Amino acid sequence: MKPRKDAAALLDGETYFLNMGPQHPSMHGVLRLLLRLSGERILECEPVIGYAHRAHEKMAENRNYQMFLPNTSRVDYLGGMIYNLAYCQAIEKMLEIEVPERAEYIRVIVSELNRISSHLLWFGTFLLDLGGITPFLYTFDDREEILNILDRVTGSRLTYSYGRFGGVTQDVDQEFLSMSTAFIKRLRTHFSEYHKLVTGNVIFQGRCRGVGVISPDMARTYGVTGPCLRASGIPYDIRKAEPYGIYDRFDFDVATRNEGDNFARYEVRLDEMEQSCRIIEQAIANIPEGPIMPAKPKKRFKIPAGECYFAVESPRGLMGYYIVADGSDIPSRIKLRTPSFSNLSSMVEVLADTMVADTIAILGSIDLILPEVDR
Amino acid sequence: MSREDITLLKESLGKEELLRTLDDGEYAKTGFNYRSQATHDAIPAIAQIYLDRGYFLEMLTCLDRLADDEIFRLVYAFNRFDRCERHALDIDLKPTQAVATISQIHRSANWFEREVCEMFGVHFDGHQNLKRLLLPEDTDFHPLLKDFGRIEDAP
Repeated sequence: MKPRKDAAALLDGETYFLNMGPQHPSMHGVLRLLLRLSGERILECEPVIGYAHRAHEKMAENRNYQMFLPNTSRVDYLGGMIYNLAYCQAIEKMLEIEVPERAEYIRVIVSELNRISSHLLWFGTFLLDLGGITPFLYTFDDREEILNILDRVTGSRLTYSYGRFGGVTQDVDQEFLSMSTAFIKRLRTHFSEYHKLVTGNVIFQGRCRGVGVISPDMARTYGVTGPCLRASGIPYDIRKAEPYGIYDRFDFDVATRNEGDNFARYEVRLDEMEQSCRIIEQAIANIPEGPIMPAKPKKRFKIPAGECYFAVESPRGLMGYYIVADGSDIPSRIKLRTPSFSNLSSMVEVLADTMVADTIAILGSIDLILPEVDR
Repeated sequence: MSREDITLLKESLGKEELLRTLDDGEYAKTGFNYRSQATHDAIPAIAQIYLDRGYFLEMLTCLDRLADDEIFRLVYAFNRFDRCERHALDIDLKPTQAVATISQIHRSANWFEREVCEMFGVHFDGHQNLKRLLLPEDTDFHPLLKDFGRIEDAP
């Protein structure tokens, strides 16, 4: 009998393809990565997307401006509130609608709560990807509290349609404000728990430090934004760069790190949760009494011919609405510039020359939402 | 501010008429600090200058204006990380005209161009991999064209 060649020798100099996803247990949503491998080293990576394409941009051209409102929170189901309010703000900008002060403060509070809930979900699932199940249970407990708070005022847990052109649907009561205050207090005591549980863990550090580095130049040429960009040392946050709503009234810092690796992205998101807490506190302290909608809200919205680009900071980065109006009550075109789309496109370069085992860790640290990529 | 960049852009290109300034963008109203229009063959040179000057490609999309003006309008948006400086660049194309790719200059254009190609049928010359991005591989229609009809009519 001839001796069997061992596996390494068989593979020597040969490459093969591996499909990771679209139904991979630790893949986020329906993303397929077509990997060309040599042994366990990735030579090339091609993300294949579109499995969750629902034609939101086409739908926008089939219905009037109000009817598109519920679509917006379904584009990114974890940052639904921010998407929903950003759409309202874009329309308000085009129609020059004044938003009452109280509504502006409410918008800031619910947006930042939404951002924290998104980061908490990311925290839990990222650790789940790395094989740690316990942190997931802790963060979902905290996140549940936010969902309860937002459910109380909006009536939904994920896909909020809370914004209206000119304000918000429901006023908040004292109970909402005190629940938010109590939640922030509670979350702050939990941060140290998270650090004890995760940050110093040797396995966690080993899988994160120096892995999946995005350089500042790479980030710029791929249009990477959000925490992924800030972890590469560039302090770009739309809330500071072009403050929308009333964000210019709040005192908060832009969290940054310089390493650009998984660990830096992890730290940036943890810091951001604290900054969001600071913003919510200031908003609760200063929220005025008053109306939450303009005195005479319009029933029918016809937008004069023209166009508008409106960008906000979503939990994943720069989210932009590019709206082209033709004078009727139906949009001529709505382009959704979503952060995950550009962040994911950088994976072609980031994943090249890494090990297969790091793929899930790197993808997890990017915080992808596939419905947002596919729209 | 951007005035310098625009001057540089015009000088580097050498031909004033390639880049036509439309207006100052009226940031408060449109979200763009600056708006210009270029011919279809000027885009790689313009994109390179934007890259060298520290800009990133924020968005690239297409507008179907076949019914009114018989053109496709490509809208490029460039922006900066250190200050808000959003520049819109319009390129008008005749229905069968192709435009040069900038995917080797701004990597983010790779997917933006693939999406415009599948949704509108605009061809990008020199693109390495211009296959379908969001739609199935064998799709033979361009759904964001106005004459495609309503979403319910999709095959």
